[in-house]
Amino acid sequence: MVVPTSKEFIDITLSKTQRKTPTVVHKHYQIHRIRHFYMRKVKFTQQNYHDRLTQILTDFPKLDDIHPFYADLMNVLYDKDHYKLALGQINIAKNLIDNVAKDYVRLMKYGDSLYRCKQLKRAALGRMCTILKRQKSSLEYLEQVRQHLSRLPSIDPNTRTLLLCGYPNVGKSSFINKVTRADVDVQPYAFTTKSLFVGHMDYRYLRWQVVDTPGILDHPLEERNTIEMQAITALAHLRAAVLYVMDSSEQCGHTLQEQLMLFNSIRPLFANKPLIVVANKCDVKKISELSEENQKIFADLSADGIPVIETSTLTEEGVMQVKTEACDQLLAHRVNNKMKGKKVHDVLNRLHLAMPMKRDEKARPAFIPEGALLRRKAMEVDAPKRKLCIFLFLIPEVWEGHNIADYIDPSIMKKLEDLEKEEELKEAAGEYDSDEESEDEEMQEIRVLAKQIREKKYLMVVESKEKDVHGPRMPRTATKVERKKLEKEMGNLGLDMDNKDDSHYAQQARRSRSVTKKRKREASAPPTSKTRSQSASRPPRDQSGLRDAKMVKKTKKMMKNSQKGMNREARKGEADRHIFDLKPKHLLAGKRKSGTTDRR
Amino acid sequence: MPQNEHIELHRKRHGYRLDHHEKKRKKESREVHERSHKARKLIGLKAKLYHKQRHAEKIQMKKTIKMHEQRRTKQKSDDKTPEGAVPAYLLDREGQSRAKVLSNMIKQKRKEKAGKWEVPLPKVRAQGETEVLKVLRTGKRQKKAWKRMVTKVCFVGDGFTRKPPKYERFIRPMGLRFKKAHVTHPELKATFCLPILGVKKNPSSPLYTSLGVITKGTVVEVNVSELGLVTQGGKVIWGKYAQVTNNPENDGCINAVLLV
Repeated sequence: MVVPTSKEFIDITLSKTQRKTPTVVHKHYQIHRIRHFYMRKVKFTQQNYHDRLTQILTDFPKLDDIHPFYADLMNVLYDKDHYKLALGQINIAKNLIDNVAKDYVRLMKYGDSLYRCKQLKRAALGRMCTILKRQKSSLEYLEQVRQHLSRLPSIDPNTRTLLLCGYPNVGKSSFINKVTRADVDVQPYAFTTKSLFVGHMDYRYLRWQVVDTPGILDHPLEERNTIEMQAITALAHLRAAVLYVMDSSEQCGHTLQEQLMLFNSIRPLFANKPLIVVANKCDVKKISELSEENQKIFADLSADGIPVIETSTLTEEGVMQVKTEACDQLLAHRVNNKMKGKKVHDVLNRLHLAMPMKRDEKARPAFIPEGALLRRKAMEVDAPKRKLCIFLFLIPEVWEGHNIADYIDPSIMKKLEDLEKEEELKEAAGEYDSDEESEDEEMQEIRVLAKQIREKKYLMVVESKEKDVHGPRMPRTATKVERKKLEKEMGNLGLDMDNKDDSHYAQQARRSRSVTKKRKREASAPPTSKTRSQSASRPPRDQSGLRDAKMVKKTKKMMKNSQKGMNREARKGEADRHIFDLKPKHLLAGKRKSGTTDRR
Repeated sequence: MPQNEHIELHRKRHGYRLDHHEKKRKKESREVHERSHKARKLIGLKAKLYHKQRHAEKIQMKKTIKMHEQRRTKQKSDDKTPEGAVPAYLLDREGQSRAKVLSNMIKQKRKEKAGKWEVPLPKVRAQGETEVLKVLRTGKRQKKAWKRMVTKVCFVGDGFTRKPPKYERFIRPMGLRFKKAHVTHPELKATFCLPILGVKKNPSSPLYTSLGVITKGTVVEVNVSELGLVTQGGKVIWGKYAQVTNNPENDGCINAVLLV
């Protein structure tokens, strides 16, 4: 988590207190309520500060609890004393804040007025914030440490590691670039690499770490700067195979004698570690081309039992050799160490390698089929196969979803011609003519009728499109259809529309009020004006759709019957809606925050 | 550059994006508009905080501008005349003689005896009894009301022991007992946290003095051995008077000014 600056920290905590605790208190409240209100604020603020500071303290690693390699590295980079002091200050601040809160909460118990409690709360919060303001520099330092720490390369101190060391500019970073996928900067100036770099490689189905260090110069330990100390720390704590890289061409700016001096001065750090001396830049100058005394240096080293291997990271000569040699030595070393330990015996006791005993004198070698043997031979002689591959490239195998091989047929053109001739013959014979005689009269009539219907439909569509409707087009059911129009249209279509006075639609048009009442008045002709006005108005909804009084009565009965069940059980129906809560709390309670409140 | 700094590494190897500088320039120029929008549209507590911060920033800006302008224009050098500098026609007078020093000392001793002091807060609001003492009801039926509890901050000495609870009339709660005061030296302008030796005088009432109640304006004796003051005679001063300048029951601490 981010370590906030002191100003930010204070702002965040105070605004949190303001948002998360109740804000309203009045003079006329009971004194215990006022006291509780202000005590809550003090305790809330204290809790927030305490939590955040505790989180900071626990998230930072304790130098005593981590691997000594990392503890030493952190000491080199961040200064152990400063680090511990900063964390100590934070701890002190946390305790002080707790004490302040405790004191003021105790004092608030004697507060007898709102003003007094409020002033006490103000004093408490102010004191806590002042304590934190004093921690400004510690917090800044810790934030920088956190950022740098999170970016350190992840070096596992316990796994198989190869460590590169030597003067600056001898070719350590080029070596690691060649052997792993780490992309370390390689430049002609010294101290290009300013910190530890890690790369990974595979050898014998195992994962290996390669650690590149900044170059070390030859001066005593006390005078070393931070960059060199990182290299020394890595040398001191990582149990790795050490590759001491020397520049046989002296292009790095230091003679071989100087390099030998450095080697001797850091020799104590190579104790108990497999060591290999890498004579780099051999493309410029080989060891055999060196002067006598320089050659003697290498001879002495070899005599000491330290393998000296010539490499050139430019031409990659010898790089693999160094890698295999170093890895083998380290593996042997690690295995030896493990065998000396006690844990090995638990494993060894459980392992058993079974070798099958010979049954009889018959020799049973491995079986390799002939084809495989031939292929093996062919692999050694590679050249002639290439021509065939080139030929295949000219014609693609698949084109536009079609398999070209399907179409490779020599007689394809002839087949096409034959097919076409056949088709012509068929057409001439009339195979593809439609048969019209199979239809009987009925079908023909239906066809004629269908044609008529289609024509009529088309005309109607055109007509309606031509109609100039001002406003939205109402559906056909919205407007009333007059009786005359209906009879005319149906007559056109062929229906018999005479004598339809008793029919349903005719009666409907004539009727004005309810059928049950006014039955007698129909016999005596009512005045024409009344009928006209009454016929224009709509029938009421509980009678529309009903033919006669009998039907109306029946529907009423049905309705009442369906209600009986609900009424007997005194259950609520659609008509029994009552809002009990006219002022629901979830809509009307809450703080009036910024924004309009003209609508709830 | 360390290993895991990917952004910087990419920038080093491939340079910036083609539109990077353009974007940066435009973003910076847009900042002005965004700031003014914020200043206009913020409401509520955030607005108050923001305006306060902005006001402080502007004051600083104005100060630096003024400083820059000062350098350009030349001004009459205003060397302050040293304190104690006397015009020429007074130069002949002699300084204070030893006799004067002695008579001043005698006058001060007389003043001390009389009890007349020059204090930083000459007049203080008098605290009534209802304010300072709260009535506590006791008895089987809670009818007796002869006990009083002090509601202000008080000081009790080191060897203080309560009277038997049945007989104690004035109760000074432990939560309101303070031992230290933050004392400011008026000339040095430095504040020290010094232990209190005793309450000399409470301006409201001698009853409060005897109880040790500390309110605003109370003269208190503090232990100044920390400061290392020495008299003219060579004796070490270890107690001095100080006057309380705040309301300790509201602030939770006693702030006082040393009476030199």
